Amino acid sequence: MSASSRGGSSPRWTQIAERGSLWGLRFSVWCYRVLGRRVATLLAHVIVTYFFLTDGRGRRSSAAYLRRVRATPEGRAHLRSRPGLWECFLHYREFALVIVDRVGLWFGGGGDFEFESHGVEYFDRLTEEGRGSIVVGAHMGNFDALRLLAVRARTVVNVLMFTDHAQHINRILRELSPHAEARVIRVAPDSVRAVFEVRRCLERGEVVAMLGDRVEPTDRGRTGRVTLLGGEVELPQAPFLLAGLLGCPVVFMLALREGAGRYRVYCHPIADRLRLRPRERGAETAKLVSAYAELLERYCVRSPYQWFNFFDYWGELGGGRPR
Amino acid sequence: MGLSKTGIFDSVVSVMQGEFEIPPERLRPDAHLIDDLDLDSIDAIDLAVRLEERLGVSFDEDDLKSLRTLQDVVDLIHERL
Repeated sequence: MSASSRGGSSPRWTQIAERGSLWGLRFSVWCYRVLGRRVATLLAHVIVTYFFLTDGRGRRSSAAYLRRVRATPEGRAHLRSRPGLWECFLHYREFALVIVDRVGLWFGGGGDFEFESHGVEYFDRLTEEGRGSIVVGAHMGNFDALRLLAVRARTVVNVLMFTDHAQHINRILRELSPHAEARVIRVAPDSVRAVFEVRRCLERGEVVAMLGDRVEPTDRGRTGRVTLLGGEVELPQAPFLLAGLLGCPVVFMLALREGAGRYRVYCHPIADRLRLRPRERGAETAKLVSAYAELLERYCVRSPYQWFNFFDYWGELGGGRPR
Repeated sequence: MGLSKTGIFDSVVSVMQGEFEIPPERLRPDAHLIDDLDLDSIDAIDLAVRLEERLGVSFDEDDLKSLRTLQDVVDLIHERL
């Protein structure tokens, strides 16, 4: 039941996020450019406070997640008090701060930001060797900081997304940020096309980025069951299946906010040269999904408020399938 | 280059047997990739990538969709080489 209610929430979530993101993207860019960063931050606080006050389910999901974090020894060190309304608000607030940064990063010139990297040298080596890679992130921190990685590696980042609006998003990206060096690849139900598209990107030595912490309808049951923060969840196998088919490195990457405009980027190679034989595909992919989940958990307990899955992630809140 | 259909068939069979562990008696030219050999879309892509490496051909997404049987695979490769 838990898995089905999570799966059931995905289409609704993605549709809302998409509609919101296209309209919101233009509006946010306008605010950031015309009103400046401070006003944009203030506005983001107002919007997020509205969501915090009206979205009971999101609030309960936030509390449930924070309780899981606090149940771990390291999480307890970062969350001093028992998660209550205030901690949930801080969680929402962090989302607002990161959203403003995302807009600033893409369309504000990027000069207002400071990045410190850990493990990024691995990318330099891949660039020297002209090897493409798959980067797996999460709805955590600021994944758009990946753009800086692309600039550093002098390559293009292709973002694999479940969206019907890939061309539209690409157009907005080009229009608003012509030097962004980023492209969105749509993952359609006929995913064979997406695999070939990914392969072409990798052959050009580019980065293919995707988020590995939410199961989308296009995953069609290709998921792995893992334990995350003490509870079982399904995570997509897609990043690892792709890497196993195409024989490319898979890298875990997160950019976590440290303070105003300050980020720390963490890279961990999950597999360097992955070429799985059909008979070992199932077991090896399961191991890689677990490795990803371990890394995810490590950073959840370290930076609890930067996890941006405001829905019933563990399928534990009841109330049936969200409509 | 200069590879006969029999030669191509042997290469395809060898990949299917070696990598996918399909018993040789099931690898007939008219064997259906999905119904008889139980390949799914990931397997089909895997097969394509391995045949590309082995035989130096290249496939695209439309090719994969048009393939039904082992003979289709052989014919396509023969056409491309």
